[in-house]
Amino acid sequence: MFKVENLEFCYPKNKENTIKGVDFEIEQGEIFGLLGPSGVGKSTTQKILIKILKDYQGDIYYKGKNLKEYGQEFYEEIGVGFEIPVHFSKLTAMENLNFFQKLYKNQNNIEELLKRVGLYEDRNKKVAEYSKGMKVRLNFVKALLNHPTMLFLDEPTAGLDPKNARIIKNLIREYKEGGGTVILTTHLMNDVEELCDRVAFMAEGKIVEVDSPKNLKIQHGQRVVDVEFEYNGGSETEAFKLDGLKEDARFFEVVKNHRIITMHSKENTLDDIFIQLTGGDMYEKS
Amino acid sequence: MKNLSVLLKGEVDRLRKYHILAASLLVAFIWIGVMQLTEIDDVTGIFPLFLFLDATSMSMVLIGVSMFFEREENTLKAIFVSPVTKKEYISAKIIGNILSNMQTLVLLYLYAWIFKEININILTLVVYVILISIFHSLIGFLLAYHTKSFTELLTGMIMFMFVLLIPVVLEEVGIITVEWLRNVLYLLPTKAALLLLNSTSAMSTVKTWEVAYGVGYLILSSAVLLVFIRRGFEVFLAKESGI
Repeated sequence: MFKVENLEFCYPKNKENTIKGVDFEIEQGEIFGLLGPSGVGKSTTQKILIKILKDYQGDIYYKGKNLKEYGQEFYEEIGVGFEIPVHFSKLTAMENLNFFQKLYKNQNNIEELLKRVGLYEDRNKKVAEYSKGMKVRLNFVKALLNHPTMLFLDEPTAGLDPKNARIIKNLIREYKEGGGTVILTTHLMNDVEELCDRVAFMAEGKIVEVDSPKNLKIQHGQRVVDVEFEYNGGSETEAFKLDGLKEDARFFEVVKNHRIITMHSKENTLDDIFIQLTGGDMYEKS
Repeated sequence: MKNLSVLLKGEVDRLRKYHILAASLLVAFIWIGVMQLTEIDDVTGIFPLFLFLDATSMSMVLIGVSMFFEREENTLKAIFVSPVTKKEYISAKIIGNILSNMQTLVLLYLYAWIFKEININILTLVVYVILISIFHSLIGFLLAYHTKSFTELLTGMIMFMFVLLIPVVLEEVGIITVEWLRNVLYLLPTKAALLLLNSTSAMSTVKTWEVAYGVGYLILSSAVLLVFIRRGFEVFLAKESGI
């Protein structure tokens, strides 16, 4: 769907490139996570992919054609879900959506989408009266107005309660099941783990790792299982290497002769991997 | 230009909902009030001055303020990740402005025609108002590009009024009479605009060369401004996207 080759970008007033030779591919029908601390270039990469920033070096291909060769028809195919609210506050939700939808040839069912995200009852309220969570859900509906084949989502569940976050995540999953492709930028590792087929970690303008969340956890974890068991009226924990576990006599002795309290493989969490790979913290600098 | 009509309708709706059009209407009613309160029965001589203030300052204000709201609410970002071209966007804003100016023109003219005496070439007036509105709308774009806050926008508008508008009005009402200063005023686009509007009046003393100068000045400077505005749009958008 997208092929990015040796992408470089420098902002006009900067001396140093913000993007320093990025390569990645996004397959049709996958959810691709773009992760990293603030300032490493993920927003810049997104802005280049949605053609807001144009003076880049390197090549980007969308459906096999150079992105620079696309005109406004490119926007007929994509949907962009911003993190910040992007609505006319003195217009109702319905007026906002109607206005934006008329700009596209393909049109999704607005009322159905509003029902799915729980905003249908409030569709005739001015957006100024909406809560932060309602605006986030409206942003998501706006991104789907044109039935896009490619969706760019920036923190789609930020500021949502668990119930509404679940609704949005289900919709993203349904969108993917329907053949849609998603680029997801988020700091919420739970979302990444639940949704992404593959993730790219960015640090200092480069992609430092691309893989599935599961593989990353295995790759960056210790291949060890911690076994906590009852021993002499108390408890004890021992670690066993996963490689060669079936020949580990001590492991089988513990399992056979003691009551097991907990048993955990020691793969890293994505949070740990994020910090390990990007060298950054989990929070926005600004 | 397939999205022009959608953008234009949206523009007019928002001018209404954000009470910008109401402010423009209020100004029109103020001019009607002024006409009512004057003892003059034949308003032919002062009518162009009312339109001058509307087509110049209001055109600039409408663009500046509507783009300010779009920046504040991040809707510019949303518009430009949809299949809208900058040509469609700029055209919709200018046409929206022209419609607002026409609303004022119709209101003032109807009042003058019904309750006072007026003798102007209305068709020529319409054409000149459109020309003036286009030029000053483009100034409004420049103002929006180069201001970051409402205070800066307001400062820009006040500067425009002091530098470009007030001297021309002062000359028109006979306060500026010094010959060399009157000649310097020909450098201002607002002088060109007022000459054109005055030329439509039956009492006009505007010479033919002055009309040609006015038309030429506004068309040429609008063309030059348009080039800058189209070029600057990419930079403006990139800035708006958070650079």
